[in-house]
Amino acid sequence: MHSTLVRAQNVFGFFTTVAFCTAILTALSVVFTTQEPSAKIELRNVQVVKGRPHYYSPKKEEYAHIKFDLDADFTSLFNWNTKQLFVWVVATYPSPDASSLSQAVIWDTIINSHSQSHPFNPLQLFTKPPPAKKSSKAKKQSAKKQELDPEPGILRLKNTKPKYQVTDISGILSERTNVTLEIGWNVQPWVGALTWTLGEGQVLGRWKGVQGGKSKAFDMPPLKKKSVGSETVVSSGETPQAAEASAVI
Amino acid sequence: MAVGFDVQSNGKRHVDRSSVTMADELLQQAQELLEGQIDFEGQKQTELISSVLLAVSGLFAFILGFALQNIYVTLWTGLGGAALAFLVVVPPYPFYNKSPERWLPSGSGMAGSGIEIDGKKIN
Repeated sequence: MHSTLVRAQNVFGFFTTVAFCTAILTALSVVFTTQEPSAKIELRNVQVVKGRPHYYSPKKEEYAHIKFDLDADFTSLFNWNTKQLFVWVVATYPSPDASSLSQAVIWDTIINSHSQSHPFNPLQLFTKPPPAKKSSKAKKQSAKKQELDPEPGILRLKNTKPKYQVTDISGILSERTNVTLEIGWNVQPWVGALTWTLGEGQVLGRWKGVQGGKSKAFDMPPLKKKSVGSETVVSSGETPQAAEASAVI
Repeated sequence: MAVGFDVQSNGKRHVDRSSVTMADELLQQAQELLEGQIDFEGQKQTELISSVLLAVSGLFAFILGFALQNIYVTLWTGLGGAALAFLVVVPPYPFYNKSPERWLPSGSGMAGSGIEIDGKKIN
């Protein structure tokens, strides 16, 4: 500590240690928050069509288009250390050999925490002029802001289109049975560990698993002949009957 | 630094003697300011102050942020505490130089001035 440089180095060195310890405390403090998420997910409509699920698909295959309703409350997953929440809906169905399950994400979203969408900068205290008058207009504006900015984590989705189609490696999805939709999430904190879905009935300290979060089992319908897009119309022409006809000739 | 000036004054260009000493002094002052040396007592104090200030500000930042449920408060309080520690400890303030060491005068140890080690006088 005898010279300026040595003092600066020592202070900075110990500062990094303190910063690390504060980060550890912050990461561990999350354990004391309660989590009790709930979700209700229901199938709205499912269609299986044959075509190219993506513009880059090399071949035509069957794909499923699953519309769903989601009613979820994830507000308790947002604590002071939550940066954002990643939520997804996954369709699960047994494989033909019944040894394992196939899963495909059909929809997902990122929910920003309040601290993520409204970052606090101490310089604002110096640059922003304090509110001069508390006029009715200002009150209205603040009320409006509150309306626009509810607590994050509430999802109310009605008859939602999927973001992603379900495809299968076998290329066949029609009349597959015992399909369920499930909700999953990933809490991404500012500092600390990522945490993933806690299933129904699971308990981890003060964190409870999701209440609900799984739809009733349903079956995939038979292949839809005439449907959206010209591709499907074309594919309906390529029926086994046509092949048989050519064989006769 | 002083050597550099000597070379220049020994060179062909004539340099005013008085200006050299003045520049020398200024340079020495600048060097001292840059090095910012403090005495032993001051070093002890800075060590203690920096450790306590940083540790307390870190803990305070966490508690304040947790109480307000705002992680930005933790971030900026912690950074502010560190900035304060830098300001308090790094510059060589005069109060870190209040008890300079009183060294023996030079040469006084040479002629058997009575320094004892293990009861034996060293000459």
